Amino acid sequence: MEFTHETLVAFSKTFGLFYLIALSIGVLIYAYRPKNKERFERAATSIFGNEDRPCR
Amino acid sequence: MGHLTQGERELALLTGALLLALGMLMMVMAWGDPLSVHGAMFGFSGAAVMAVTLRGMFAPAPDENRFASYYDAPSKAGIVIAMIWGVFAMFIGDWVAWLLVFPEMTFDAGWASFGRLRPVHTTGVIFGFGGNALIATSFHVVQRTCRTRLPDQFSPWFVLLGYNLFCLIAVSGYMLGVTQSKEYAEPEWYADIWLVIVWVAYFLLYMRTLARRNEPHIYVANWYFLAFILVVAILHIVNGLAVPVSAFSAKSYSAFSGVQDAMTQWWYGHNAVAFFLTAGFLGMMYYYLPMQAGRPIYSYRTSIVSFWGITFFYMWAGSHHLHYTALPFWVQTLGMSFSIMLLIPSWASAANALLTLNGAWDKVRTDATLRFMALAAIFYGLSTFEGSFMAIRPVNALSHYTDWTVGHVHAGALGWVALIVFGAFYAATPKLWKCERMYSPGLIEVHFWLALSGTLIYVFAMWNSGIIQGLMWRTYNDGGTLAYSFMDSVNAMYPYYIARAFGGLLFLLGAVVGLYNIVMTIRTAADTLSEAEDRPLGPILEPAE
Amino acid sequence: MFGAHYKLERNAIGLVLMIIGVASIGGLVEIAPLFTIDETVEEAPDMRVYTPLELAGRNIYIREGCYACHSQMIRTLRDEVERYGPYSLAVESQYDHPMLWGSKRTGPDLARLGNKYSDDWHVAHLLDPRSVVPGSVMPAYAWLARTELDTDDMSAHLSAQRAVGVPYDEDMIAEAAADAIGQARPDSDGAEGVIDRYGDDTAIRNFDGAPGKPTEMDALVAYLQILGRLTDVAHAGASENVESAESGS
Repeated sequence: MEFTHETLVAFSKTFGLFYLIALSIGVLIYAYRPKNKERFERAATSIFGNEDRPCR
Repeated sequence: MGHLTQGERELALLTGALLLALGMLMMVMAWGDPLSVHGAMFGFSGAAVMAVTLRGMFAPAPDENRFASYYDAPSKAGIVIAMIWGVFAMFIGDWVAWLLVFPEMTFDAGWASFGRLRPVHTTGVIFGFGGNALIATSFHVVQRTCRTRLPDQFSPWFVLLGYNLFCLIAVSGYMLGVTQSKEYAEPEWYADIWLVIVWVAYFLLYMRTLARRNEPHIYVANWYFLAFILVVAILHIVNGLAVPVSAFSAKSYSAFSGVQDAMTQWWYGHNAVAFFLTAGFLGMMYYYLPMQAGRPIYSYRTSIVSFWGITFFYMWAGSHHLHYTALPFWVQTLGMSFSIMLLIPSWASAANALLTLNGAWDKVRTDATLRFMALAAIFYGLSTFEGSFMAIRPVNALSHYTDWTVGHVHAGALGWVALIVFGAFYAATPKLWKCERMYSPGLIEVHFWLALSGTLIYVFAMWNSGIIQGLMWRTYNDGGTLAYSFMDSVNAMYPYYIARAFGGLLFLLGAVVGLYNIVMTIRTAADTLSEAEDRPLGPILEPAE
Repeated sequence: MFGAHYKLERNAIGLVLMIIGVASIGGLVEIAPLFTIDETVEEAPDMRVYTPLELAGRNIYIREGCYACHSQMIRTLRDEVERYGPYSLAVESQYDHPMLWGSKRTGPDLARLGNKYSDDWHVAHLLDPRSVVPGSVMPAYAWLARTELDTDDMSAHLSAQRAVGVPYDEDMIAEAAADAIGQARPDSDGAEGVIDRYGDDTAIRNFDGAPGKPTEMDALVAYLQILGRLTDVAHAGASENVESAESGS
């Protein structure tokens, strides 16, 4: 296939949109999936701990 | 030197020798060209590294148990260096602001004219102040959130000092007239190559630390820092592509021209805002704000969604800098649409930060450090809204080319970037130097109010001047011709330029107070520590400049 | 699928790949079509390249950071076209490595500055801006008139320009240093060659009006006088497609 200006523009205008929607849905599912809830809550509090030394 | 193992000392010596040799070669071969001055700077840095290494070559080897403690010396040095860059570059910024009021103050010399000093200011604050702050805090945060020590003692110093060498080469180059003229990417080809080397070392260091983590989950602050490191590398390499006039000439010609160059430049320029001035500092915020407030981030999940939103949307938004230009219309529209969508992840981040403070607002009232961070989040929300608004084509028709853009940038740079840095530094400094609190909480208050009033005066002055300018340029009189000459609009700016320079002065004074407070904290901490442990703290500060 | 995603997130390298993927696709999709844009850029068969003297002047313009306060991009807005002249076309900066469209107008746009003022006006303005424009906030550039123009490596400059795609021929590259001097010295032997290589319309003048070797002032004024005049294509049908600012449409 030849990459003319028109084909590239058409690709940008179509694929770009689908890519945006797919990515948004993927990220939302990942972040708000009930299964992941506990992990993220743990992660959010993980920073509070012994500050002075590595390891727990 | 006591921190480095024998192997690392040899590596440092080798690096110094290579730098010295390369610098000498550049200096001799490019004699008469500005490149030779920078060769001398490379060579001098190499010699300094060698001297310091040799002096400590036979110092006792570092503690076998060092992996049971964090390696914070580079973070400590980075904080001090960042504050020094901040004071220097804000001074230059205020100086060039006064140049617009008193244009004769250039001493009849090239280096002192507005055009050459302006990139000194922008590079100094963005890369000198902001970049060092990011490097210093990212080392601090990644160790704490991964609960592991940095993998070695050489590469953090290579990254920090090598990066500062880049900044010095850049800033001195502008005064010598060495510039690529690409905004926020002015350094010439050889400085760009050096930055790539430093940046690869930074990336590898970060990845090695993450790989050593004792925490199963990578905390979200590290996602932001990682995106900052990675994407800045991509942007920097693509935008910097150029052909030098010769191997020993400082001058190069961009690989791109005209409309492609404009798009590449603003793809870089806008994403430098996104990944240097936003992502990295959000990483900072996601660690220091919860720590200082004593509460976990309000919604960890929202922080993930906004992370991918910012990473994705920003990349498309650069073309809003080129509305109504020779850039194809569809690219302008694309940039506008994505700029408006950007408001979603941006406000999600700002709201997330402010909601974290729910239940801790009493601390915001009493603790100026936390107040710095809270105000930074508010300014982040305001300036991202303003940014999306200004990306709308008809609004941009008025705002573009005017001081409104300058005001917008400073609402972000002073209100968001600088305030979050000051907040993070005031939070990190007592912890790093192991003391109860900052030397003077009162001075943090002074700094806070100087910074806030300076920012407000600055931004309001530029809003006024920008909108007046934009309106004067497009006002027609009854006869259907343009009502004002360009000089009319310049004359109308006079009071606002004075107000802006005054606001900048207040902000600069605040930074000076901050530097003093940090230095005094370090000095008091060093005194008490040496009494307590009967040994010096070791070399804290050995920048190569 | 989500199991894989879960692992990916735990894995730092996976995170890196995701960031690169998500971030770079935006740039690629948006920028890739611009590299085929020469298919859509206007034709300008009469367009010439910068002479060595003008290129040297352009490099001084870059060196002094003039682009920080002056744009070279007239937008498709009615008031801009009336104030500055026909709006800028993409083809006009096709030889500009890098482009100098600018982003701020502390001073006016310069895209159509060429031949608007005399050489003398430019020299006086650069020596002391407020002597000809009262109230100007521009710094003086008096040292340009005192600094001799360095033409030693002009050939290397033109070679580098050719390497990035500007159509300089062998002759132009070989004679670059002589042409740079010849263009600023109409009485000299070199003046003829400039006309031969760059066309009859090329301005051969003593731009700074001073005797002796060409200075940086000569080069900068030569560059300022060619701005917007490399091709006439923008002047044909210029008032179409202009948007009126008041209507905001």
